[in-house]
Amino acid sequence: MSSFSTVQSVLKLENITKSFYGVKVLRGVNFDLRKGELHALLGENGAGKSTLIKIISGAYKMDAGRTFFKGEPFPSNYSPKIAEELGILTIYQHFHLVPHLTVAENLAITAYTSSPGLFVDWAEVRRQAKVALDRMRFPLDPNARVKDLSVAKKQMLEIAIALSKNAEIIIMDEPTAALSRNETESLFGMIDQLKTEEIGIIYVSHRLEEIKQIGDRVTILRDGNDIATLDLREAELKQIIALMIGREVTSNRKQENSPLQNPLLSIHELKTEHFPDPVSLVVREKEVLGITGLVGSGKTEVARALFGVDRVSSGTISVDGRKVDMRSPRSVVHSGIGYLPEDRDSQGLCLNLAVRENLTLALLAKQKHMFFDRDSEKKVANGAMQSLRIRARNVLQQVKYLSGGNKQKVVLGKWLEAGCRILILDEPTMGIDIGARNEIYQLIHQFTQSSKRAVIFISSDVDEILEVSDRILVMSNYHFVGELDPRKTSKQEIIGMCMSSAANERFRLGQAS
Amino acid sequence: MSFPTSESLIKVRGVLNNQAVSMLLILFAMWVVLALLSPYFFTVGNISEITLQTAVIGIIAAGQTLIIISGGIDLSVGSIFACSGVVGGLLFQGTSNLFAALIATLVFGGLLGAVNGFFITRLRVPPFIATLGMLGMARGLALIFSRGIPIFGLSPEYLWIGQGKIFEVIPVPTIILLLVYAIVFGISRYTRLGRFVYAIGSNAEAALLSGINIKWVILAIYAGCGLLCGLSSIIEAARLGTIQPAGGSGYELLAIGAVVIGGTSLFGGEGTVIATLIGAIIETTIRNGLNILGVNAFWQYVVNGAVIIAAVSVDQWKRQA
Repeated sequence: MSSFSTVQSVLKLENITKSFYGVKVLRGVNFDLRKGELHALLGENGAGKSTLIKIISGAYKMDAGRTFFKGEPFPSNYSPKIAEELGILTIYQHFHLVPHLTVAENLAITAYTSSPGLFVDWAEVRRQAKVALDRMRFPLDPNARVKDLSVAKKQMLEIAIALSKNAEIIIMDEPTAALSRNETESLFGMIDQLKTEEIGIIYVSHRLEEIKQIGDRVTILRDGNDIATLDLREAELKQIIALMIGREVTSNRKQENSPLQNPLLSIHELKTEHFPDPVSLVVREKEVLGITGLVGSGKTEVARALFGVDRVSSGTISVDGRKVDMRSPRSVVHSGIGYLPEDRDSQGLCLNLAVRENLTLALLAKQKHMFFDRDSEKKVANGAMQSLRIRARNVLQQVKYLSGGNKQKVVLGKWLEAGCRILILDEPTMGIDIGARNEIYQLIHQFTQSSKRAVIFISSDVDEILEVSDRILVMSNYHFVGELDPRKTSKQEIIGMCMSSAANERFRLGQAS
Repeated sequence: MSFPTSESLIKVRGVLNNQAVSMLLILFAMWVVLALLSPYFFTVGNISEITLQTAVIGIIAAGQTLIIISGGIDLSVGSIFACSGVVGGLLFQGTSNLFAALIATLVFGGLLGAVNGFFITRLRVPPFIATLGMLGMARGLALIFSRGIPIFGLSPEYLWIGQGKIFEVIPVPTIILLLVYAIVFGISRYTRLGRFVYAIGSNAEAALLSGINIKWVILAIYAGCGLLCGLSSIIEAARLGTIQPAGGSGYELLAIGAVVIGGTSLFGGEGTVIATLIGAIIETTIRNGLNILGVNAFWQYVVNGAVIIAAVSVDQWKRQA
């Protein structure tokens, strides 16, 4: 190795490739990390960020490539345990803490679990905890139970644990996703401290502004390639977004402007525990309203509030001018609204029931008689299976054996058969192959051809939002931050809006256009 | 756990999928073996005795089946059985009104079941704990109401329910048993309630998000199960000629056993009512057979418990496939 680069790089990756089931996820990625530097990784979903950090942390084995830690190649039996021994530690989004133990016990977990005698050496536990906490400028009560800590404090504890293990590299995966503004600031304070202690930080985040604020360099990944590594003091946001997306994207949905339709569904000043400020929106007849935003921006919460799942503390919803009773999903279903949840297996389907039984569930829930006619149920199910082109052996096959796309069509069919007029679709194409995706777009299009119907299409995939929507609302931090016409906007503009913090440019609906 | 997966085993699994059929075959096999071992077994008297003995547990198990399909469990059936019987019996002692006494037994059983449903849906207590609490409470109430003293002096009309025979052959309890199964089977297959029970057991969240009134369904099936406990209590009282405040203990084991032997999954969403009837007959056959063969009666509990473990392990094994 050339001695020059190894002197300053604490970590160096060369030409890393990785495939899953024949799909190339990383196609020869190079990456290096210097001491005391925050090096951000940026890319769209599926660009390869998490695969890369998992290779660094030892969770995945790379297919090919070379990895160096302080100039030395990684040991051949590299694993998460060895990574930890070397000083490469990962702060996960889902915390690896023991919730029922105290801060001190978690910090000294090794002493706690492997003391040679029968009894715990409490003095040693306390001593180790004190040493670790004293290194941090952030106050943590060693006697607090971890389960009572806020997300931010848990994160600080994870960092303290990493420090106590003599970390030289700390990997942070979306560390601010669940933090408030103030908590984010104290995390950044901590990060500054880590940098002065010569610890290198690999930082994965969608939030560009954050990266700009605390980062030194950024590597942009796209489709498994490292597109560029930039110095963040010089790079511009626009340039970074363009590199991330790679191409000028415009809507390929070239429809003539249809005359403005009447409002069908209006949400007025709706408030649940999730929303700091009430939200309002209007969906018009024959319209596909796209709602996009990053993961955790509040899109799903809008759907859940609207469907009566989360308790609504104030505000009203009306369909066709009539107020909707929002006490439960049941009462909302009766006003003609259907909800395709984000997680179809755990929320949308009864997996060990048949295709037929799933297809008619909402229809039966709406009926009032005690008995139902099994013959006409069969006809309904067979009809739906044909018109939606659900590929199953027959209507009696259990849903769990269907592919993702066919499962999703069953959930859609459930609402179509129930005669609902407004469909809320939450990430309807997640994990679905391209063929079934297009079929679902087709079904949405057909559905909105008749009057008195509309679709709310929620997705974090900006390409599909541009393709499917008639109008786009952008969410960030539980606020609507923009309303866009898909024919007049671009992917860059939308992503920029998604990543902007809502606090800076709060946007009220109605002020737009 | 690992099983050999040879060709033959795969075939066995395929056949076992329809557990009702395989259980029926096992039942016939047991009958053949017992008939060979004892000439007394295959007499009209003994077969009718088996159906008669099945009635008490079988009726409770019918209600239990719907609860288990919904993903729940009812541990309080034996106590509700005793408590509702005592309430009806006391009313009969006081008024000598048979009709009022029977209605009171059924209604009180249904009421206690509804209280289970209330605990589960409104107080959000898990079914296991809610009905465990009811197991204690209903038993205590049965003892308090009766002051611990068994109730005697049931009229011949009351006794006919347990001891009478239609056309001199078919015991009345057998008729009631078949009627109950016809009705519960009908509910499970032809009513919206029945469909919702399956949907809730399969995925309660999805059922809720499809607009099903989950709380109402849960309340209804626990109340229904309580009512069937009352009915079962009437039959036992009429057979024995007495109402025991300590009666029905251990019936939860037999009733849950009948359900799982019938192949209904404790994970919810899968199972059939008719299979439970077969399961209940299998349980009775085991007891009856051991009796005839002169095996110590206490062994019945051991064998019954072992059969339940075996039935659930078969279910788990199929699940792995």
